[in-house]
Amino acid sequence: MHTLSINGNEQQVDVPGDMPLLWVLRDVLGMTGTKFGCGIAQCGVCTVHLDGKAVRSCVLPISSAVGHEISTIEAIGETEVGQKVQASWLEHEVVQCGYCQSGQIMSAVALLEKQPDADDAAIDAAMAGNLCRCATYTRIRAAIKSVSQA
Amino acid sequence: MNTLKNILVLLGLSLVSGGAMAAGTDTQASADALVKKGAYLAKAADCVACHTTKKGKPFAGGVEFELPFGSLFSPNITPDVDTGIGAWTDDEFVSALQEGVGRDGKHYYPAFPYTSYSLMPRDEILAIKAYLFSLPAVKQAPIENTLSFPFNQRWGMFFWNALFLDNQRYEPDSKQSAEWNRGAYLVQGPGHCGECHTPRTIFQSLDKDQALAGAPIQGWQAYNISADPLYGIGAWSVEDLTHYMAKGYASGHGFAGGPMASVVEHSLSQLTPQDQKAIAVYLKSTPAHSSGIARATTDDLSARAVVVDDLGSKIFAEACAACHRWDGEGNQSPTAKLAGLKTVNDPAAANLLGVLLNGHSNMGSPVDQRMPNFAKGYNDQELAAVSSFVLKHFGQSGGVVTPEAVAERRKVKSH
Repeated sequence: MHTLSINGNEQQVDVPGDMPLLWVLRDVLGMTGTKFGCGIAQCGVCTVHLDGKAVRSCVLPISSAVGHEISTIEAIGETEVGQKVQASWLEHEVVQCGYCQSGQIMSAVALLEKQPDADDAAIDAAMAGNLCRCATYTRIRAAIKSVSQA
Repeated sequence: MNTLKNILVLLGLSLVSGGAMAAGTDTQASADALVKKGAYLAKAADCVACHTTKKGKPFAGGVEFELPFGSLFSPNITPDVDTGIGAWTDDEFVSALQEGVGRDGKHYYPAFPYTSYSLMPRDEILAIKAYLFSLPAVKQAPIENTLSFPFNQRWGMFFWNALFLDNQRYEPDSKQSAEWNRGAYLVQGPGHCGECHTPRTIFQSLDKDQALAGAPIQGWQAYNISADPLYGIGAWSVEDLTHYMAKGYASGHGFAGGPMASVVEHSLSQLTPQDQKAIAVYLKSTPAHSSGIARATTDDLSARAVVVDDLGSKIFAEACAACHRWDGEGNQSPTAKLAGLKTVNDPAAANLLGVLLNGHSNMGSPVDQRMPNFAKGYNDQELAAVSSFVLKHFGQSGGVVTPEAVAERRKVKSH
């Protein structure tokens, strides 16, 4: 039995310690906002926050997540920066198919929490590991920049 | 009267058989203990690594060793009488390990590390034999070597042995602790660490003046593991070293890849914590050699601005930064830390290319300690670019990797 702190709530899960967090979120806890893409930390759709840092939940064993604060896309609208990013996303009509967007928003919020005035170079570096096969990259960058340059 | 006689005979018989049974149990117990001891020593000596092919049966041999003048194939060491070592006597087995001369006086080539195993005493070698003889016999004929003349003349090894084989057992150093001596024995004897980590002379013998100073092996670099703090393992704590042996990595120091991953899996991680510590204690006391690949310095990594402006940095941003981070600290895994590694400071990028092309995909390792391989995802030019970027960003060697070097590295087979 492992105790995880997810979005401020304590959750008990009875799974092997080497199970990736993504599996626990989606299959055990039914929190399907975080998506599965590649499973090898190459696409970014499974991005969540671990103590505020953007991490890939598909390669994070839950034994390494115990004792840390996990935030997921489900609760991102409860933070100030999260709300700003959501508003900016709507304003720029960023989303096309939408599959990668949970990960994009988690990476964007992690960046802006750490670097509220992020410029193009910082945005490119922080967002590079998040793929979007609809290629909405320019709108993603514009939406983040509206928050950071506001 | 007859009845009494019968009873006495029966009593006598049962006493005899009871005694025999007790003796049998003792013999069985000591045989089991010997096999158990041999199993442990076989792990310490990592016999399985060279005597088992990827899909083959354990110890049935057939692993190819490519040399400039042809190939050697490891023999079957299961107890099969016809194709293995089932007919071998104790003396023949001991001679193979101590003198490099097998059954029928056949000389071995030093790809078989008998110059190291020679330090092992007869009783330990016979324990290994007892263990091997306890395994299922596998009928699998050995593959003929393909060495060219004059290297196919086994008798030539007689002269080589006269020059380079000491044929002496390990002598404890009375000035050192029992722990140190145990470590020295394991490293020099069964562990045969120097066979990969010690440079060789032009005669292919180990260069004893450069013990553990590092050498290339199958396209990889077996790093300097002498006590030098910059080039060797001198800056590792005993705990770092034992952690590496037990788990295959020491964060910020090294990750066992390529042939070393197999050594950790089959040998070092199977040793007792006491033996792992003994090895660490001994390695930290070995003569320091400042040669080979130096550790990268990590001074300004976290402060450095991130610039994504060329092919290499773009690939790093897309494919590497999520786990390894721009400051090389590793995002969510102790094994993803690049800062301070030798791998990012080797101008030839031997192990960097090795891991990019092969990944760390051992399914037995935890999910956060695996790395995908990028052999098919990127072409030679792209892998050269990202490798050059990694060398420039995290190291000080000034190395630049060419697409031709990547193409060459792709050709290296690893077993």
